[in-house]
Amino acid sequence: MTVWEKLRPYSMVAPSIIIFSMFFIYPIFYMIYLSMFDWNFVSPTKTFVGLQNFKELLLDADFRQVLSNTTIYTLLTVTLTTGLALMLALWLNRKGVFHAFVQGAIFSPHIISLVSISLLWSWLMDPEYGLLNWAIGLLGFGKLEWLSHPSTSLVSLVIVAVWKGVGYNTLVFIAGLQSIPKDIYEAAALDESKPWTTFMKLMLPMLSPTIFFLVIINMIGSFQVFETIAIMTQGGPINSTNTLVYYIYEYGFRFFKIGYASAAGVILLGIVGILTIIYFKLLSKRVHYR
Amino acid sequence: MVKKLALLTLTVMMVVVLAACGANGKNEGTTNTTGSTGSNKSGAADPSPAKKITIKYWYAFGEKIEEAKQNMVKEFNASQDRIEVIAEHQGNYDDLHAKVQAAFAAGDAPAVTDLEIASTGVFARSGMLQELTAFADRDKDKVQLDDFNPGLMGNAYVDGKLYGLPFMRSTPILYKNITLLKSVGLDPEGPKSWDELEQYSRVLKENGKIGMTLPADIWFYEGLVAQSGGTILSEDGKAAAFNSPEGVAPVEFWKKLASEGLIKIPVGDEAGATADKDWANQMSAFKFASTAGVSGSLEIAKGNGFELMTAFMPANKSYGVPTGGCQLVMTSKSSDEEKEAAWEFITFMTSKENTIYQHKYVGYLPTRMSAVESDEIKAHFEAFPQYKVAVDQLEFARPRPMETSYPEVAKIIKEAIEKAILDPKVAPQDAMNAAAEKANKLLSK
Repeated sequence: MTVWEKLRPYSMVAPSIIIFSMFFIYPIFYMIYLSMFDWNFVSPTKTFVGLQNFKELLLDADFRQVLSNTTIYTLLTVTLTTGLALMLALWLNRKGVFHAFVQGAIFSPHIISLVSISLLWSWLMDPEYGLLNWAIGLLGFGKLEWLSHPSTSLVSLVIVAVWKGVGYNTLVFIAGLQSIPKDIYEAAALDESKPWTTFMKLMLPMLSPTIFFLVIINMIGSFQVFETIAIMTQGGPINSTNTLVYYIYEYGFRFFKIGYASAAGVILLGIVGILTIIYFKLLSKRVHYR
Repeated sequence: MVKKLALLTLTVMMVVVLAACGANGKNEGTTNTTGSTGSNKSGAADPSPAKKITIKYWYAFGEKIEEAKQNMVKEFNASQDRIEVIAEHQGNYDDLHAKVQAAFAAGDAPAVTDLEIASTGVFARSGMLQELTAFADRDKDKVQLDDFNPGLMGNAYVDGKLYGLPFMRSTPILYKNITLLKSVGLDPEGPKSWDELEQYSRVLKENGKIGMTLPADIWFYEGLVAQSGGTILSEDGKAAAFNSPEGVAPVEFWKKLASEGLIKIPVGDEAGATADKDWANQMSAFKFASTAGVSGSLEIAKGNGFELMTAFMPANKSYGVPTGGCQLVMTSKSSDEEKEAAWEFITFMTSKENTIYQHKYVGYLPTRMSAVESDEIKAHFEAFPQYKVAVDQLEFARPRPMETSYPEVAKIIKEAIEKAILDPKVAPQDAMNAAAEKANKLLSK
């Protein structure tokens, strides 16, 4: 065995490790370090304040609302996206020109830039001149305020996220459905299993790895929602759509409090970390892997 | 073969990564931001350096504002052959500020940038801005600081030191659709007071229109507080003053008018755009907006077939407005050579000729008294009286608060106003008291 053969695997992974350390590991530790300072990112002096930033964060009613906004947004988005996608997948899981077209149509938002989507939906949801209010007006309903009222703004953002995400989720579900072997269905048919029973006892367990994967991916994505909020609401009205990542951005780059923003970042890191661990511990036990 | 290819790929990648690291390190380590002039530190006194100096200038906003800025930069570049200014668009003021801050931390800040006036305090106190007092003293014959309208200089100084020169400065003014006013039998000269604004709106509502679509904007609120005789912050800037009767009066006024459907107060990110649309579509007769919109609004009025007049913001106890807009500032980490170039550029952009040019092109204030008194501006006011109002209104202008935490305080105030207006159960006084309590914690630091 030559030296090169020994070194080869390490040199192969080196680029990935270097980039990963530079852009993920180092910033994480730097963020944790910064979270204990009062600093504006540019002034030469940093003031060490210990855990003061965390104390202020947790005592701040706005931050608690930000946490609850983020949680509600995530729960709604994940449930609706995966639920709708599963139903669509069951319907679309067959051959035919029409089904192929629908599948393509609902997948297309996935490849559009989120910035364009945000602008588009801002226009659609305009309370005065928007297409959506015009349409529900035709149906005889009153106008909705959409993004302009704290009671509807968060749900409006959920709608955009679901619209964007459901196509990709459907595609993954269809792939999952098609990987279920035909012979199991045949066995079920021989036992005269009813469709509902087939779905509950056969398809759902066989799909559980897919569901697990999508729920995790969607949750992590939703917890980090930023673009739609930055473009459509800027956290308003009255803090009703402010979420963790936007809050961090606002404090870091609008109010120039990088230490405080880093502390919020550490909390986000903690929450996402804990959620991931819980999911892997609890759900992995129930997930059926072949 | 495959092995060799892999090795080659790896080598290339490593080189790229290392080069990136190297470049990073260099930028952090040196104060010279553009790099191209690094070897030629011949000193500030040399009037004709061998190499052309390139400096970056970052600016905010598009359309007419951008065109005017780009045209002036082109003229500057053509006027001499020592300095090349590269002007780059960076979005709105908030985007611009965030990018300048990040670029400064990365050691790559532009030499000159627009800066919204209320943020001068934050930027200056954190050491990002070059103090301009020495430059202005040296070139006082050329710059003539006392020629600038005194109403605009309040935000140029932070703690007694000069940091910026007034560039595209504004005040909010009242835009009136007088064709609509005449059609419902209202005197197009008004409304001059809050009471008249209410009466006008009542008549307009009876005719199926509304008085005004008005975003609960902090800048307009600052104006209404001034009109009521109050201030946003205490004199030393260490405490909130907006929960005084003068600070609550605007919120009560807005809430009353909105609850009776006389005006509409949209909230959210699109509120400003909604106000413009309602006014352009002749749903509302009035709008508050920056004087920067005069040229654009004249075009809209012409296109939609109505006549536009501008006026002072209506008075409560007196007239009163905040000033706004941006000044030109210099960042502190450039080389001496670049600072000289930046200074020359800033004085060019704020000259009498250019303030006249940008005023006529966009509608921002002519910043210099000599410009206001020039024949060119007088003739322009004669032809388009809509431009004159903002200049006259400067008599009642006051600077914006510049406390370090003011951006955050402004957000707190705005949310309190929106809460008081949207929720019928929330009394304006209570909302403002709660906001003041929060703001005091930030201001007293």
